[in-house]
Amino acid sequence: MKKKVLSMAFAAIMAASALTACGSGSSASATTAAAASETKAAETSAETSKAAETSAAGEITADVQKIIDRGVLKVGCKSDIPNFSLQNTATGEYEGFEDDLAYTIAGEIFGCSMEEAKEKKLVEFQGVTAKTRGPLLENGEIDLVIATFTITDERKETYNFSTPYYTDAVGLLVNKDSGIASIEDLDGKIIGVAQSSTTKDGFEAYIAEKGIDIKPEFQEFDGYPALAQALATKQIDCFSVDRAILSGYVNDSNMLLEDRFAEQDYGVASAKENTGLAELVEKKVTSMLDDGSMKELQDQWNLQ
Amino acid sequence: MIKGLFDGKRWLALWKAIPEYYVPGFIMTLKISLVGLAVALVLGVIFGMLSTMKFRPAKFLSRIYVEFIQNTPLALQVMFYYSVLPMLFSSSGFRIPKFALGVIGVGVYHGAYISEVIRTGIEAIPKGQSEAAASQGFNYLQTMRYVILPQTIKIIMPPLANQALNLVKNTSILAMVAGMDLMYYTDSWGSDRGFFAQAYFTSAVLYFVICFPLARLARYLEIRSMRLPASKKINGKEDAAC
Repeated sequence: MKKKVLSMAFAAIMAASALTACGSGSSASATTAAAASETKAAETSAETSKAAETSAAGEITADVQKIIDRGVLKVGCKSDIPNFSLQNTATGEYEGFEDDLAYTIAGEIFGCSMEEAKEKKLVEFQGVTAKTRGPLLENGEIDLVIATFTITDERKETYNFSTPYYTDAVGLLVNKDSGIASIEDLDGKIIGVAQSSTTKDGFEAYIAEKGIDIKPEFQEFDGYPALAQALATKQIDCFSVDRAILSGYVNDSNMLLEDRFAEQDYGVASAKENTGLAELVEKKVTSMLDDGSMKELQDQWNLQ
Repeated sequence: MIKGLFDGKRWLALWKAIPEYYVPGFIMTLKISLVGLAVALVLGVIFGMLSTMKFRPAKFLSRIYVEFIQNTPLALQVMFYYSVLPMLFSSSGFRIPKFALGVIGVGVYHGAYISEVIRTGIEAIPKGQSEAAASQGFNYLQTMRYVILPQTIKIIMPPLANQALNLVKNTSILAMVAGMDLMYYTDSWGSDRGFFAQAYFTSAVLYFVICFPLARLARYLEIRSMRLPASKKINGKEDAAC
């Protein structure tokens, strides 16, 4: 007991001396911090008022307000698709068409332009895969998914989708030395597809329509690199996902077949209960489609 | 994910998906588990005995196997069997069937662990036992079969059960290479519809259905092996063989 009292007294003395020793320094830094926080607060309030102004026509819904209060829009994007959404390994920044679309939507929410949103980093990106994007959205970890997310009727039951911002088709990538020259040669072969993709249904609809009688086997993989590796080691005969994605994996030893099928629409997805946010996104996407700025953005990233 | 857990519509969708996804997945996992366990036990007993032999090369061989397998991840080994091993045979795209891939994967991996379990079990038996057996004219295999191994059972049963359960659960790594096992179908259906809570919960129940009886069986065998051998009833005439 005595020992404890002593040690406590000692600690108190030490603390006191420390305070005196760097008294001036600490007060100075405290001032700076306070000033900084003040400026930030001013900035945020300015942003909020601006945002309020822009959407004065429609009122700000609770879910959008939550994002404005947070000061950052959380978006799930792919990190491995050139031109669409690729994480720059040097800087860690996300670069691509879908990322710019995310910045544009963030600009709409916070009431500024896309460039400003980019500069102020109003979007917090999270790399997602076909498997993780759904749960992350439902958990509220991210507000939006802009990650080559194909719109289907089944998925519409689970998430809110915007009007399609891009239309892609599925392609077939095969090894050059496999002797496969057209879709007819795929009978009995193994086609690798990505988990949670709609490739299989699209393929079957396409061959039924064309009257091609082939029966390939489908195997699902978690992620495109795994598929590319399986194709390179010849564990699968064909790598079939969206052409936008396939284009990143074409090399000297493989080739894209002519066939394209299952045109599919990519939409911006949000959690089912965030209807206000979905509405705002929908408005922005349709206006971008109408005024041609969506097309411009796609051209900028060499899409289509 | 939790929000949708009690959504009746999602459970109905799961119910409809059972014949197409969960039944073939469950059967595949069960088959790989059982055959894989048999392979692991055979490898474990062989290499466990080799590592306790006085013959040095045998010991050495066993050490190489155990150390190499124990100190590399299973995911890497499966990836090796999947994409590198077939290339060694030919470059024309030879493929190891998924069932064989699973059996080799978990069998070889857990064989190494089981071999260590058996080695420690054998080493825990006092040396006097094998000396006594030798003095009675038993050779190495007979000593093992009749004297040493029966006594090790009660020592090795708990860690052995551990390995068996881990083996079942580790079959899920096959999902990585489209192994058509339970985990593969779970991922497939779950990510297709976005009903992850239902998909993974059902999968967990099915793994439990395989593992729990196995755990009880191991416990039963452990308790049985702990019972002291009952002395033989002698009705006048003595059992000469004893």
